[in-house]
Amino acid sequence: MSNQAERGGLWEPSRQVGRDIWGSVFRRGLPTTDKVAARTVLTNFFLHIHPVRVKKSAIRFSYSFCLGGLSFFLFLLLTVTGIFLMFYYVPSTDQAYQNIQGLQSGSPVGAVMRNLHRWSAHAMVIVVWLHMVRVFYQGAYKSPRQFNWTIGTALLVITLLLSFSGYLLPWDQLSVWAVTVGTNMAKYAPFLGPFTRYVLLGGPNVGQGTLIRFYVLHVAVLPLIGILFMVIHFWRVRKDGFTGGL
Amino acid sequence: MARSGRNGGDPPRVTPPAKGRSPLASTTGPELARAPLVVQMAKEDEVVVTYPYLVWREYLSALAMFVFLLVVSFLVAAPLLARADLTVTPDFAKAPWYFLGLQELLQRFPPVMAGVAFPIMVVIGMLAMPYLDRNPSRRPQERKVAIALFTLFVCMCLAFVVIGVFFRGPGFVWDWTKILGYQGLVP
Repeated sequence: MSNQAERGGLWEPSRQVGRDIWGSVFRRGLPTTDKVAARTVLTNFFLHIHPVRVKKSAIRFSYSFCLGGLSFFLFLLLTVTGIFLMFYYVPSTDQAYQNIQGLQSGSPVGAVMRNLHRWSAHAMVIVVWLHMVRVFYQGAYKSPRQFNWTIGTALLVITLLLSFSGYLLPWDQLSVWAVTVGTNMAKYAPFLGPFTRYVLLGGPNVGQGTLIRFYVLHVAVLPLIGILFMVIHFWRVRKDGFTGGL
Repeated sequence: MARSGRNGGDPPRVTPPAKGRSPLASTTGPELARAPLVVQMAKEDEVVVTYPYLVWREYLSALAMFVFLLVVSFLVAAPLLARADLTVTPDFAKAPWYFLGLQELLQRFPPVMAGVAFPIMVVIGMLAMPYLDRNPSRRPQERKVAIALFTLFVCMCLAFVVIGVFFRGPGFVWDWTKILGYQGLVP
């Protein structure tokens, strides 16, 4: 018996176990043929959100600019950085500002995570807005996709509310006064205006009640509503297919 | 859009000749008799498998966005001003930039209109837009009115943000000089 065969004999069972595990997790290999590629999309949880095949014109970068996908990516990025920030942040008017200050000056990682969260939030407002503009100019909201436009509009509103509720959390002069100005608009609503503002702020002015309300809205309520709408939005894109070139 | 592949059906064909499209749909008369009876699909209708073509593009664009944001985050610190103090009104009391349009409207119209009626109208209009636009065509030359109205709306939104960020000084007062050496740019 040659040395090589002995080595093969020793390694082969463990390599087979490795292949079995890999195969059971990913099921398909690299997309060497269209058939394998199609099967991969069908059997992979993360890929099956896509249709199996798409119009070539619809995936041209200059057609969609990947804006919808980028909106979702930014949502994921904001979730990850946001969870990181939650480990350090206490939504109390006594501690919130110091928490953020400590994060910003304490360690480079903390500062970058906060910056990333902040700039990604601005980017997301812009990208979601551009996605909507793109869909309009291409008429991609027309039958059978009317209702998906409506869901998309709701997602834009949720994006704005997420950004606005996050604005307050650092508890600095910028956040408190921006939210004061923003919520002052609510009080002009006929009849229910002052009441709406009171409910929103949890009191007559921006204070501890407002901070905890905005915090819970920001980290739990709005993301969950957003995820629900996103699931429907993506599912409908999946079922209707991409609109494709004009 | 062909839907083969749903429910684990046949894997999709990627070659251009269309299976689902009837040659009768686009041709009439003598052409029908000619062999072979295969209609070459327009280039726009060519299909490719999602994986890897689309997935790869999504990955690349996400990566590019991530790298861009990471570089920005290393270079520019997120703003953090003095601790909140409700007794001290700063000069720059402004809404976040994406709500500056509302603040601009409040400056010009009665509050009930600017703060309540307009935003509700805009949101309802946006939600209902596909149902209001009855035109089935997607060709730009056949949707001139829709495109003109939407472009006007987009330009107004942009103008309000630019005015709010650059031309509104302390107390949200109009100030041309703010464009030069303005300190309050950071959102």
